[in-house]
Amino acid sequence: MKTDCPKRAAAWIKPWTSQSIGSKFQHRIFYALIRMGGIRLAYPLLYPVVFYYMACRPSVRERTRHYLSRRFIRKNALQRFADSCRISVALGKVLIDRASVGICGPDAIVLAFPDKARLFSLLAEERGVILMNAHVGGWQVILPGLGQLRRPVNMLLERHVRDVDLHYFEHGRLPMPFRTIDPRGFLGGTLEMMEALNRGEIVCVMGDRVFGSDKNVLGVDFLGQRAFFPFSAFKIASTSGAPVVVFFSHKAGPTRYVIEIPEVIRVPGGLGRSPEAFYPYVRRFVMALEAYTRMHPYQFFNFYDMWS
Amino acid sequence: MDLKTRIKSLIVEELRLEDLRPEEIPDDIPLFGDGLGLDSLDAVELVVLVQKHFGVKIKDMDEGRLAFQSINALEAFISERLKE
Repeated sequence: MKTDCPKRAAAWIKPWTSQSIGSKFQHRIFYALIRMGGIRLAYPLLYPVVFYYMACRPSVRERTRHYLSRRFIRKNALQRFADSCRISVALGKVLIDRASVGICGPDAIVLAFPDKARLFSLLAEERGVILMNAHVGGWQVILPGLGQLRRPVNMLLERHVRDVDLHYFEHGRLPMPFRTIDPRGFLGGTLEMMEALNRGEIVCVMGDRVFGSDKNVLGVDFLGQRAFFPFSAFKIASTSGAPVVVFFSHKAGPTRYVIEIPEVIRVPGGLGRSPEAFYPYVRRFVMALEAYTRMHPYQFFNFYDMWS
Repeated sequence: MDLKTRIKSLIVEELRLEDLRPEEIPDDIPLFGDGLGLDSLDAVELVVLVQKHFGVKIKDMDEGRLAFQSINALEAFISERLKE
């Protein structure tokens, strides 16, 4: 399939890492502005910063194209440039909001969670719950909201050692609100995930990112082309009996986020070792993700090339 | 059937290891990675298998790390827990 990400550009796109683009000093400027005047002071600086990166750092701009080139058919280079700027500004605002929650407190944003009762009823089954998130909307901003669930939360989280970007609780020097499971750990953290589910706890995973050397991936059509998605969480759901709750959020206003549950996926037991057995369940997640990109096209922040 | 042979048979059967017979599994090769070639998702099945067939619970990662080194280690872990 033809995309507008040229081959010559693809050659100098660096492999994706979780490491931030900006330096520690650059991040501190934003944090200082938030302390002085909240998001109203920090947002305006975002526009020239994004313009600089998009105009002067083509390798950074190209990272946005993996998704945008499949989501929008644009013949005009100016439109493509505008799309990259728009999605980068949207991501920047989410990161500022996240810092704002840490610096100014959880009241800095308003979280709406209309499906909360549904999640409580799933937790009441006492089989644990796998919350399957994706790099969309305010996936990091809504973390304080997980405290409302009154259950221990375990998060599969891989972090780059040189990452200067701070989570909200690190700004406020608050205790970490969840336990982390490192996918680079023993057997990819699968035993820890099972252990947590057996205790009836919540396990958060990202359904749109393949961690480390995980070979448990399936190719599923996403935005018209085959992309790769992990199926390990579905296997764990099959073995443990825990439901997979697709859990997305979007920024609905300057300080407002909405959390949604578009799908609850039940995976039957005894599906065996064949990856294909998990295809229908991964496909349901991908369909929910694709529907999300139709509703919120500039709130998809997975800048990793899922299609290669 | 001794415990080791039973464990091997269950692994082949429940993990659906095609082209492998229980007697072909050496007692001391690592179960994961380059040894028997099981992966992290097989570990999930293995936890369930041990609990279902022997009533032995692998409670945490440390126990899993100990038990899943090899057939010998798994047999020793199960025997010990059964004695308790």
